[in-house]
Amino acid sequence: MLDDLRYRLRAVFRRRAVERELDEELRFHLDHQRDKYLAGGMTPDEAARRVRLDFGTTDAIKEDCRDARGVRAVDEVIRNLRYARRSLAKRPGFTIVATLTLALGIGASSAVFSALNAVALRPLPFPDADQLLLISQYEPGAAHASNFVAPSRLEDWQRMTGAFQGLSGYYLDDMTETSGEFPERISRAWVAPRFFEVCGVAPSIGRAFTRDEERFGGPPAAMVSERFWKRRFGGEATMARRTLRLGERAVPIVGVMPATFAFPNSDVDVWSVSAPDAPYAQSRQSTWFTVIGRLRQNATTDQGLSDLARVQRNLGQQYPATDGKLAIRVTPLKAATVGGVTRSLWMLFAAVSLLLLVACTNIAALLLARNAERRHEIAIRYSLGASRASIVRQLLTEAIVLALVGSALGLGIAVGALQAFRSLGTGLPRMTEVRLDWTLVLYSLACGAVSVIVFGLLPSMRTARSHDVGTTRRTHTIATNRLQWTLVAIQVALSVTLLFGAALFVRSFDRLIRICPGFDATRVVTFRITGNWGETADMAALKHRILTTLESLRATPGVVAAATAVALPGVSFQFNTELRIVEAPTETSRKITARNRFVSSGYFDALAIPVLRGSPCSDDPPVQTAVINRAFESLYLSGHSAPGSHVQEIASGRNAVIVGVAGDAREQGLNEPPAPTIYWCASAPNPMPVFLVRTHADDPATMTETIRRAVHQIEPGRAVYEMRPLAERLEDTLAENRLRTVLLSSFALTAVSLAAVGLYGTLSYIVSIRRREIGVRIAMGALRRTTMVLFLKQGIAVTIAGCVAGLWLSAAAGRGLSGMLYGVTALDPSTFAMVIGIMIAVGALASIWPAARAARVDPIQVLREE
Amino acid sequence: MGSERLDLPQGTLDLLILRTLAPGPLHGWAISERIQQVSREVLQVPQGSLYPALHRLERRGWISPQWGVSDNRRKAKYYALTRKGQKQLAAETHSWRKLIGAVGLILDMD
Repeated sequence: MLDDLRYRLRAVFRRRAVERELDEELRFHLDHQRDKYLAGGMTPDEAARRVRLDFGTTDAIKEDCRDARGVRAVDEVIRNLRYARRSLAKRPGFTIVATLTLALGIGASSAVFSALNAVALRPLPFPDADQLLLISQYEPGAAHASNFVAPSRLEDWQRMTGAFQGLSGYYLDDMTETSGEFPERISRAWVAPRFFEVCGVAPSIGRAFTRDEERFGGPPAAMVSERFWKRRFGGEATMARRTLRLGERAVPIVGVMPATFAFPNSDVDVWSVSAPDAPYAQSRQSTWFTVIGRLRQNATTDQGLSDLARVQRNLGQQYPATDGKLAIRVTPLKAATVGGVTRSLWMLFAAVSLLLLVACTNIAALLLARNAERRHEIAIRYSLGASRASIVRQLLTEAIVLALVGSALGLGIAVGALQAFRSLGTGLPRMTEVRLDWTLVLYSLACGAVSVIVFGLLPSMRTARSHDVGTTRRTHTIATNRLQWTLVAIQVALSVTLLFGAALFVRSFDRLIRICPGFDATRVVTFRITGNWGETADMAALKHRILTTLESLRATPGVVAAATAVALPGVSFQFNTELRIVEAPTETSRKITARNRFVSSGYFDALAIPVLRGSPCSDDPPVQTAVINRAFESLYLSGHSAPGSHVQEIASGRNAVIVGVAGDAREQGLNEPPAPTIYWCASAPNPMPVFLVRTHADDPATMTETIRRAVHQIEPGRAVYEMRPLAERLEDTLAENRLRTVLLSSFALTAVSLAAVGLYGTLSYIVSIRRREIGVRIAMGALRRTTMVLFLKQGIAVTIAGCVAGLWLSAAAGRGLSGMLYGVTALDPSTFAMVIGIMIAVGALASIWPAARAARVDPIQVLREE
Repeated sequence: MGSERLDLPQGTLDLLILRTLAPGPLHGWAISERIQQVSREVLQVPQGSLYPALHRLERRGWISPQWGVSDNRRKAKYYALTRKGQKQLAAETHSWRKLIGAVGLILDMD
């Protein structure tokens, strides 16, 4: 078996050498034979004649030898390939159009697939990543509760669980590095014990934290990212006792995490231990960890949930005050990371697959027309004894060559498209993991293979059948035409579907960006200044620091207003709270829920949100103040004078006096209508609030350097980071929406152009084969205009047939889009009408040219050609 | 070229080639000459099928080719019996004899 394989491989790959050897062997034989005859007394001529007589033609023997070598199939393939190359080269126009069409289809499809694969299909870059869960606590029925977990509770879970291999947690904090001109912010993750074990990733250099280091008062230690290691220490391969200066302390670096490890996020450069046995971590109400857990082998998410729920019930009995009401929620870490993008990607993948189908159908129609021109040649091959199978193989080879070249070019296009993808998709999860890899190459090839089946097999079989009807040529032509028209109608139908989807997204996106958000994002720069949670120990100092910074910002030339807030306006921030109005009689008071926002003085100026009544937040009020929005006022305070009323937050018991009423703003996201909102006036709600600075500059980006210097002057030890115009940030929140709108539109436009090309090509072909008939008609007195209309009608009729099928498809597809649209319904009739209008116009345009050519046929010339 | 000459029965050429190569490697021409000589000119190898047969045997791994120099100092392709070929030869010889014996029995019956 192995000998056989080796032999055949040599016969295939060393074909020339093998042939040469055979030549030599046969010549040797002939010479010997001749010598023998000469020795027997024949004349040289006679000997030569005898030898030829004995031997027959050497060609036949060689052919038999090749057969014996078992390489005839390979020979046929090689011959077919050569033939395909010749025949493709003979029609460069067709070849180029077909290859580019296919490359476009495969390229787009591969690019989307690669994103889908990287984001939704591939597991997170952890070993056995499907065992990882994100775990949070919540209070059922309570609008406001911290989802973060207390360190002591986390340790209880770890101790009592039966379904998890381990549980750990983290929170994020800032560090400031001061070696450069401006201080640089370094993101640090504080991690609970067992963090790296739960993730399942080991350091690439050095080691993870020891149990000792994970204890309070244990030896100090830090782990750093590979990026940080390279930047700071040139990426040496040994640890050599490097240290990290953190304030006064020098902390030894014990390990370097590989570049692929980007958890909790890709910004994190340093991991430090947050010891659960520290004295300040003992309260069951100081909650700060985001918890992750690794399930035991074979345990399901549901088992994990019920196990932790049991553990928490026990804890509730043990600590009724703090744990009694808490329940557990688990989410697979991947779902938590990737979120809703998956749906968009699947939608895009479906769309791009339709595009590929349009491309294949297009090429099928082109091939069909082209093969029809070769009927004559194929008939001759049949009469020379070729089998049907061998002709199908020969025609198919051409399709395979097209598909291979198309796949290769498509791969190139895909690689380029990935670049565009990454830049369009900033802000989407896992986009950095989208890259060229083997799956992508294989996928492109698979696309090519599927394409061959779709566009190659049908025309090849159809053409190879033609000899059956060689005598009744006309029947055949009509049958081919019908098939071709069907293919064109399919293209139109698929294009209508894509166009409809794209139109819905474009309209929805248009609505979204035209929304008046209730605040003005232009001319506003946002940034943060490094701080750390340790500062919350001295709230007065923290408040002083932030107010000083705000003051000096306001004093900077070009700055109109400056403020801080916990969250960016227009960006989703899940923080509901339950309130009561102190003045309202308790028995009649209804449940009040509102969105929490924490803002400093100047916030309403910075965002140009009008204050309708009362006054905005001020810098240093003697009592806690708050501002409510109009939705809050009209829903909960009708009849009261809002300014001057007191509200109390039920969960915390915190009181505030309402000082003003502001206009409604879409704080929660552009696609969310304004909800009742309470703005708690707080300059320093946390150590790293968002700074919002309204400038005079039309392009606020020009102010960034000025602002950076202004901050640096009063805070030389702190870094400014995430500095970007607010408008840009808001655009990022639309990244997913924009990505799918842009991509779907480009797919739809490509599909429509392909359908137009298909229609044009098919009609042109039909005009060309009916030239004679047209010539006769015109000679018999048919009007040229009638002739033109005849063909125009044919083109438009097929377009309309395609549109009808497309409408039906669109209605089906629209249902899948419903959740992704804003401001239009999935079956929007005006969009339907617009799409049909566009498609028919395109169909008519594509038909006019061939129809006009039909009308210009010169009967005399046609008759002369006959 | 006596009138005694016979055509080779189907399938025997492979066996004859293998047997001819049993004493040692030969090139194609010598194989056909040897078969002719040993059979006292009764068996004539059809020239057209010798080389395809050699290539087929080579593919099956029963004979292996090597380039050598012939008596008249020309490069020639010699074929040698492989171990697999030897086994094959033994097996085929056995079944051939059995066949001859059986055919003989039938021809000799009364």
